[in-house]
Amino acid sequence: MKPSTVLIVDDSRVSRMLTRQHIQVRHADWVVEEAANGDEAIAKAKGLQPDLVLLDVNMPGMNGVDAAAALRAMLPNAHISLLTANVQAATRQRAEEIGVGFMEKPITAERIAQLIAPLEA
Amino acid sequence: MKSSLESLPLLQGVIDCIDVGTLVLDASERVVLWNRWMEHHSGVLGAETLERSFFDLFPEQRGKRLEAAIGQALRSNLPSLLSQTLNRWPLPLYANKAAAEKGERMQQQITVSPLNLGNNERFCLIQVSDVTAAVQRENLLREQAVALRSQTLLDDLTGVANRRHFDMAIDRETRRARRMGTPLSLMMLDIDYFKAYNDHYGHQQGDACLEAVASALSTMQQRPADLFARYGGEEFAVILPDTPADAAVMMANAMCRKVRDLRIPHQASRSDERIVTISIGVASSDSSNAGEVYELINAADRALYQAKACGRNRVHSL
Amino acid sequence: MVRLTELEHDALVELFNIGVGQAASSMSEIVNETVTMSVPAISFLTRATAAKLLTSRSTGNGRLCGISQHYSGAFDTEAILMFPEEKSQEIVRLMVGEAMPLAELSAMEQEAMSEIGNILLNSCVGALANLLGHELHGSLPAYHVGYSEEILAQAGSAETAVLMLHIEFVIERQQIAGDVAFIMDMTALHDLKQHVADFLDRSIGGAQP
Repeated sequence: MKPSTVLIVDDSRVSRMLTRQHIQVRHADWVVEEAANGDEAIAKAKGLQPDLVLLDVNMPGMNGVDAAAALRAMLPNAHISLLTANVQAATRQRAEEIGVGFMEKPITAERIAQLIAPLEA
Repeated sequence: MKSSLESLPLLQGVIDCIDVGTLVLDASERVVLWNRWMEHHSGVLGAETLERSFFDLFPEQRGKRLEAAIGQALRSNLPSLLSQTLNRWPLPLYANKAAAEKGERMQQQITVSPLNLGNNERFCLIQVSDVTAAVQRENLLREQAVALRSQTLLDDLTGVANRRHFDMAIDRETRRARRMGTPLSLMMLDIDYFKAYNDHYGHQQGDACLEAVASALSTMQQRPADLFARYGGEEFAVILPDTPADAAVMMANAMCRKVRDLRIPHQASRSDERIVTISIGVASSDSSNAGEVYELINAADRALYQAKACGRNRVHSL
Repeated sequence: MVRLTELEHDALVELFNIGVGQAASSMSEIVNETVTMSVPAISFLTRATAAKLLTSRSTGNGRLCGISQHYSGAFDTEAILMFPEEKSQEIVRLMVGEAMPLAELSAMEQEAMSEIGNILLNSCVGALANLLGHELHGSLPAYHVGYSEEILAQAGSAETAVLMLHIEFVIERQQIAGDVAFIMDMTALHDLKQHVADFLDRSIGGAQP
């Protein structure tokens, strides 16, 4: 199986580390890159062309939802998912409209497993 | 306390007597206790509830605050309060049969608490109080307080005349002075660098400073018609009927001295002597230039501004 | 004053953000509006400094409305949610909607603020406790109004540290800022730091630069 490329977008360093940890523990050969905000994510995604993008919703500057929308347009075949502790109907709806997934925080091994499952298929 | 076997009927009796709805859920959210108050006000008997899931009995509670609160108690060991303001009539409870027939639910305050018994068993205790009477009492008290407050003429903090009293008095005295052709003087004064005082010493001490200054100055007015009032935050005003400008200025100077003599420390003051001081603006009208109320107030304000501009801790008169 | 490493500090910020995120979820259910809350910053201060900071930032009459709950177990703390007094009526009105007559609103405003404090504090502390793997015991909310020094004196006058969270609260496009103070003694502070360090060890497999 070809190693996948993942982009983690979150302004919290600890969050990024945790997510990276959960992924690399299962797939040490995958390429995992990080971005701390929406602009950085878009810039990195251009060159990286990730298979999976995980975005925190609550970020300073461009928020996760807008960044996800931009990335969806840029990467039509990538798996993109929003992560947030604040699960509300409005956010869920937005995610559906943009065509991205939605996962509840806190980040756990099970939740990350669910998110990377499509790449393992 | 009696032995546990004997005290059980006593406790059961108490639970069924108290004027609070009491129900207990086990870790699977099934009802294990439903007291008489609950029976009486819900129309649901204890026997019907035993071992049934709370959400089978009240399915409309799913997805609401009460469900979240029960979850927090059972899973996170934390208690919750459901205020009647944010959760109107959550459970179908009625004050009496008549209310039940009309469908008028009781106003409820609910608390949800974790209950930990020795052997690692966790339960959830839900207490419901009828707050209808309390709400009505509070509404009545609040209306009365509002009515009272609109009649009072005294400032809450300092006890001197308040702005309302000042507004009525200046109006009355201006007209009187114009009619009688007598002089009228007005002082506007405030505490120098007061914002800095608050920032440095805290608002509580700021209030104490206002009280001290007001107390010292309000006793200086000699005549019954003289009025010392709190005009605004840290601003005070003094109305002196039948008082020409020079007499008013003399009194103002005495007031400045009196505050200085209090020697209240003010470390954040930008003056050399780090103590609390005041600046005073004086304006007067006499038979030749008796004007409107606002003209006199504006003049006193301008004079106060001049006093500040010239270095504070002084009197200026127009 | 106990110092956290940069990583421990980041972890706490993230844990609190998860907590207030969950609180915002609960509140949006009550209000049927989008509610967002975030914790942009946390700091460790002495009680005196905390009181001064709150005072210096106030634009109204300096009076605050505070809702406090006591927690014990994994660590001991008095947690207090504070809003400027003039903002609290605004918040309740936003939560309740315009349907309520003004007189009735003022009467039960304190109770509503108590519940808001209860939801927010339990979410924060609950998330913290769950993620750190230790349980806490909490009290029901108590309501106070006064200046910052008075409200922070709830936990007594002993030498204490305050963990301050600044909270941004957005509801119906209105942005309201508040603060949460966790008042702790040195023992509690040490306990908290230890728990955070343990959490990092468990999750990220040991200290990293």
